Amino acid sequence: MNILIGTLLLWALALFTLAHLRRHAPDRLPVVWARTKSTMTFMVPRIVVGLVGAGFMAELLPVGRIEQIFGESSGLTGVGLASIFGALTPGGPFVAFAIGAAALKAGAGWAALMAYVTAWSVVNLNRSIAYELPLMGRQFLLLRSFISLPLPLVLGVVLLLLV
Amino acid sequence: MHMAQDPHTPPGSSTPRKLIDGSFLFIIALAVASGLAVWLQKGPERFQELLTRDLGLAAVLMPKILAGVLIASALPFLMSRERILALVGPDSGLRGLAIATAAGAIIPGGPSVTYPLTIGLMAAGADLGAGVALISGWVLLGLNRTLIWELTFLPPEFVAARVGMSLAAPVLFGLAVRHFMARRGERQ
Repeated sequence: MNILIGTLLLWALALFTLAHLRRHAPDRLPVVWARTKSTMTFMVPRIVVGLVGAGFMAELLPVGRIEQIFGESSGLTGVGLASIFGALTPGGPFVAFAIGAAALKAGAGWAALMAYVTAWSVVNLNRSIAYELPLMGRQFLLLRSFISLPLPLVLGVVLLLLV
Repeated sequence: MHMAQDPHTPPGSSTPRKLIDGSFLFIIALAVASGLAVWLQKGPERFQELLTRDLGLAAVLMPKILAGVLIASALPFLMSRERILALVGPDSGLRGLAIATAAGAIIPGGPSVTYPLTIGLMAAGADLGAGVALISGWVLLGLNRTLIWELTFLPPEFVAARVGMSLAAPVLFGLAVRHFMARRGERQ
């Protein structure tokens, strides 16, 4: 359902954009088609392989145990573990937030939850393999991940000190 | 929206990227290895099930991806290169990083849309720092995901604390990338 709504919204925007271009600079349209074609040729095989590979990898991870382990651990260890689990959690927002909510019920503190959600957001293994590495390249992924790496730990530790 | 003024300098570059490169080979190897592991550990039926599911997902995503790529391809023609450079180019300063972060937070699409748009913007003049700020803005502050998913599952006070604490991060990440690139440039 979410995919359908997103698709419709994007197509509306794309058609609006193309209509605008057609009125004001119709000579540019062939370039837009050519660029779309070359980008799609680049992207499609990568996304197909990425999604299939990420799906297989997700199957091999013991996702069910994640919420239990990080729900029961606390303090600095909890924050560290939660960060690792966050980075490893596969699937869309539904999966990660559901695990986060379950961990909260199982006894996880805000600090661990913060580390988990933040790590899942910024250093997401699944998304890196399915999209970022194949589309943006190694340099972009490594640089962005390296810079983002401390954030889950920093936010988690700040909450440990505050709460 | 402004049209590119000078017909001799087409905005954006259509840098020919190699169809098969190291990153692609790497994810192929990863997919084959994990596919093999699933086959051996969970059996050929589960392997087939997952393969069908994810190929189906890819097929369902295609129209969305095509729309995203069309927008990204048209983007450089809707704004002049000068304007994109001024907004999110290498010399756009903190303001440029803030704009990129806000754009990332607002874009209502998943990875299949946000990445092509980032590629389009970077081809049209945005620098690596702005690209990283945009992706970071999307993953940390994306409105769509926060409002629809996060608030459904997690306590609102927690979501507010998380967003508040992450607010400055994308801009800081962009600054770090610019700093890193400048230092690397000096060394070469």
